Amino acid sequence: MKIEATGLEHFYGHEKVLDGVDLTIDSGSFTAIIGESGSGKTTLLSILSTLLQPTKGITRYDGKRLSELGNIDRFRRHNIGFVFQFHYLISYLTLRENIALGAIDESRIESLLHSLGIAKLSHRYSDEVSGGERQRAAIARALVNAPSVVFADEPTGNLDSKNALGVYKLFREFSHQGTGFVVASHDKKIADYADVIIEMEDGIVKQIHQ
Amino acid sequence: MITPIKALRKNRFKTALIFISMSVSIAAIFLISAISGGVVSMYSSMLKTDGDIIVTQKGIADTFFSDINRSAADEIAAINGVREVSALILGAAPVDPLPIVGIYGASKNRFKSYALKQGLYPSSGEVMLGSKIYETLKHPKTISLSKKEFRVSGVFKSRIGFEDGGVVMGLEDAGAVFHKSASIFLLALNDLGKSDAIVAQINKTYPQMEAKTTDGFIDSYNQFKIIKTSSDVIGAMAFLMGILGIVSMMSMVVNDRRAEFGIMRSIGLSSRVIIFKLLGETLIIALLAFAVAYGVSEAVLELIKHADKFQGYINGEITAALAIKVFVVSVVMALFGTLLPAVYAARVDPMSLIQRGGA
Repeated sequence: MKIEATGLEHFYGHEKVLDGVDLTIDSGSFTAIIGESGSGKTTLLSILSTLLQPTKGITRYDGKRLSELGNIDRFRRHNIGFVFQFHYLISYLTLRENIALGAIDESRIESLLHSLGIAKLSHRYSDEVSGGERQRAAIARALVNAPSVVFADEPTGNLDSKNALGVYKLFREFSHQGTGFVVASHDKKIADYADVIIEMEDGIVKQIHQ
Repeated sequence: MITPIKALRKNRFKTALIFISMSVSIAAIFLISAISGGVVSMYSSMLKTDGDIIVTQKGIADTFFSDINRSAADEIAAINGVREVSALILGAAPVDPLPIVGIYGASKNRFKSYALKQGLYPSSGEVMLGSKIYETLKHPKTISLSKKEFRVSGVFKSRIGFEDGGVVMGLEDAGAVFHKSASIFLLALNDLGKSDAIVAQINKTYPQMEAKTTDGFIDSYNQFKIIKTSSDVIGAMAFLMGILGIVSMMSMVVNDRRAEFGIMRSIGLSSRVIIFKLLGETLIIALLAFAVAYGVSEAVLELIKHADKFQGYINGEITAALAIKVFVVSVVMALFGTLLPAVYAARVDPMSLIQRGGA
């Protein structure tokens, strides 16, 4: 899926957090959005992932505007995955049940559990596994419907460096299989794995590195 | 099914509070409806015993205030289609140590409707006691009414609590105690098809009296309307309290679980799924609360029925119709109480998780 953003502006109250962003993200690529806290990367991620309507500007998904996509929940479920900084697994569900929660069909769950190395832990609850394992389960949840693109907001912010690198490698592997990744991070190490790096500062795209 | 139960177990403290709130409300509705229904049913049964038509003083607000001339009973008995007329005086008086007891003066032909357990039907200066009051008063030989001693001639058993906890005496003795001739006539007919004609004839012949079919009387009896209205109002209050309890607790639950609902939204689950999820959880609580409230209500009614203090006057019964009605009320209570918090939950913005790190 090709995502195009044109002239994105966004305000929180009177504060302008995005100031005319234009960019294109291709499916199957690993895009990193980097920048300091307050640079607008999370807002941009939210708009691109359909979770937030921009104050001004247009987003297109394979050429279609948001208003032309029909049911947004349905669109999001079929096409978009999301990974949060904190794993946000539901504590009363096992890892497998968390992954199955939004699954359109459950046939991919076992293979995801294996490829993410958490198959043996699938019947455990989130408080019974490590932080890295929780985040892997959250990644599996984002990938379960084979979305075109997965958005991740500071997905390694809560992990040690070893686990953080593991997450980047996973994103890299899955992007080679055709899933696009758009990852907001202030961790410069992500640059080693990304195909495209979008550098943001004060609500504008300062630079795009291919 | 498993997921809602897990969610309820995870939030077990608030689940327990919702469950208790619902159980209390449902039990309150059960009890007030069963007790008021029992009062109406008992009095109706008493009047319907050999009573196809009831005759009272015209224009009185309650049968207890009715005073009609008992000598008219023989004339009415002679009307074509009337099988039998019995006269009753309905009163209440203290019988030491009980502050108030139902006293029934009955014409002799009415005595046969009381199943004697021991002794004889009362003659002049005598009374027979219902088995309940006989036990409560610890098998008395005499009782005192209006400063006059009456010998206990026998004990009868009645399924009607008002009678089983009451005192029955001859019509003349009751007339002397309550200073009236008769409260009501109960007419048994040979042919129910003639009831309207007989009612019309009595109303025409005796302008100071008012005849009605007993079913018609029960339908229009003010005391029953008052009891039913009071019961409905108290039931409605219990229903509203239940809804408020659910709304307030569910609002807290939704607030506690904002992150959970935000995640669901972010992975593409629709608002409807979240609303149905919460409604499903509350319905499970409602079903459990209904079952517990039913059991508790049955136990309480049984205790009340056998409590000496109430002399068998409070005798509620949970009929199948009442159980179905309260079940529907319970489901409606759960749905209404949950709807508002559920709609709020469905609108939880996943952005709050992304931007502020969760709930």
